[in-house]
Amino acid sequence: MQGRGLRHDQHVEACYAASQRLCGVQVTNSADLAHSANPFERELRRLIALLLITTMSHPVEADPGTGPENSSASMFSFSGFGTVGVVHSSEDRADFTSSIFKPNGAGYTHSWSPAVDSLVGGQVIANLTPQLSAMVQAISEQNYNNTYTPHIEWANLKYQLTPEASIRVGRTVLASFLVSDSRKVGYANPWIRPPVEVYSLVPIDSSDGVDASYRLHLGQLIQTFVGTYGATSSNQPTGGNAEATHQWNISDTVEYGAATVRIAYQRADLTLDGLHTFLSGFRQFGLQGEAIADRYDPYRKPLAFIGIGGMYNPGDWFFTGEWGTTKFHSVLGESTAWYLSAGHRWAQFTPYLTYGELKANSNTSDPGLSVSTLPPFLVGPATGLNAGLNGILGSIAIQSTTSAGVRWDFMKNVDLKLQYDHTRLGAGSPGTLINLQPGFQPGGTVNLFSAAIDFVL
Amino acid sequence: MAFNKCARLRVFGVALSFAMSVAMADVVAVVSSKSAITTLSKSQIADIFFGKTGRWPNGVQPVPIDQAAGSAARNEFYLKVADKSAAQMKAYWSKIIFTGRGQPPQEVRDSVEMKKRVIENLAAIGYIDIDMVDSTVRVLHTQ
Repeated sequence: MQGRGLRHDQHVEACYAASQRLCGVQVTNSADLAHSANPFERELRRLIALLLITTMSHPVEADPGTGPENSSASMFSFSGFGTVGVVHSSEDRADFTSSIFKPNGAGYTHSWSPAVDSLVGGQVIANLTPQLSAMVQAISEQNYNNTYTPHIEWANLKYQLTPEASIRVGRTVLASFLVSDSRKVGYANPWIRPPVEVYSLVPIDSSDGVDASYRLHLGQLIQTFVGTYGATSSNQPTGGNAEATHQWNISDTVEYGAATVRIAYQRADLTLDGLHTFLSGFRQFGLQGEAIADRYDPYRKPLAFIGIGGMYNPGDWFFTGEWGTTKFHSVLGESTAWYLSAGHRWAQFTPYLTYGELKANSNTSDPGLSVSTLPPFLVGPATGLNAGLNGILGSIAIQSTTSAGVRWDFMKNVDLKLQYDHTRLGAGSPGTLINLQPGFQPGGTVNLFSAAIDFVL
Repeated sequence: MAFNKCARLRVFGVALSFAMSVAMADVVAVVSSKSAITTLSKSQIADIFFGKTGRWPNGVQPVPIDQAAGSAARNEFYLKVADKSAAQMKAYWSKIIFTGRGQPPQEVRDSVEMKKRVIENLAAIGYIDIDMVDSTVRVLHTQ
């Protein structure tokens, strides 16, 4: 029995690697995939492998002229998306990245970085019964450790109770903001990437748990309530894990004709173990050290977020704006961000303008341990801890960005976007930049030039 | 340079005449003449094709049907009911599909097949050229 089980596993892994190659996803190390540290992730990978294999061995019923969009007729539907992009930054002593989960980007590490926006994603939906469906989506992009090993972005079972109500169990992407859950599908969005001021605000983007949605029609008005409960764990580029437990998110979306307004509230108990280890060092310094650790240690600390967004899209014009604020009593600080964006479509061209702002609501420095009362042999370590603490507090992002860009729908299912961003960093702040190098001047300005091709399959 | 300008103008001219010929065609939303649905507003029709309507006003679950991607009828239909281009519709459905929220309408090859499907299924709603309208289908007069 054991032997059979093993062979089956090897078969699935071999098929997984083969299916990934077929889908054009680069597999750097198939052993990595099969022996992922997280058993949940490993099971998900097996599931997607099986789904991909089953899809390939059961070709969609031939019906010339209908094409892949006629998906509701067959049990499986396969689809994909991707972005090939490059970014250049005028600041070569720090890196610009599109997400807090990336280790490097444009500026210091690469003069022209493909890592910021490039990715490829594949998805299988299996319609098991008219009510029950399974969805798995894998994405290959720059990971926290600078590899491109695909990870499971979505994997859930969905049960459609009524045409207006559904429940999902498994992994979903949290919809903290209007386009949070579709932010990686470049083709679905007007910009190269959602405004970083707002979209970097919440350090959690995923949920393993349950999610329920209910839609209500009130005359011309469509109201959709979504509630999510779960937990998540993600690796940080700076080392260590971010663990969120008791994580819930509720949102209400109201659509009236071309107008959409959405309000979301999110809460989680968050632990950032890298920072937790550092801040625990203060606890060796008696009561004053304990007080500092209690104040800043991100260990099972409640994170709360509230966001409001709106979009008006009557056809050729689009106007959108969002505002969000976090409460997180820790060294990561509390921030508020907003943006406004507008664009107009002329035939295949949609130029747009965006302005975004991110500010800190909490202190960006702290006196730390009072060294004058300490015995001489403790002054050195205490001074080191104080410098470390102020280094982290001082790197809290404060910035504003003006962006101008254009989307060109130059062929079916493919667009080309060009974008220019002018970012002003807050006084003393590195903004959202990372990998700060000697000679980097906080509080300056940064110009970014980005080009990207988005496609959907 | 002069040649370039000339070529660009010609491309623009072709694009313009194409746009005009599309606008000339008259596509109408239809259901079976046996359907209980007699009238729907433009926004009600748009909601059904955007996957936002669970039920008809009479309680039946509507089945929207699309013509082939890139067809003139489909492009005109979405411009008419929602003022959306083919690329905008593809972007809309990409957002829905890749967040697992739904699937786009079923697709048929052409107007002939569309008409057949609408007649066969009382819950179906589609769109055809006005010239093809006869007693088997009912045009939904948009309000």
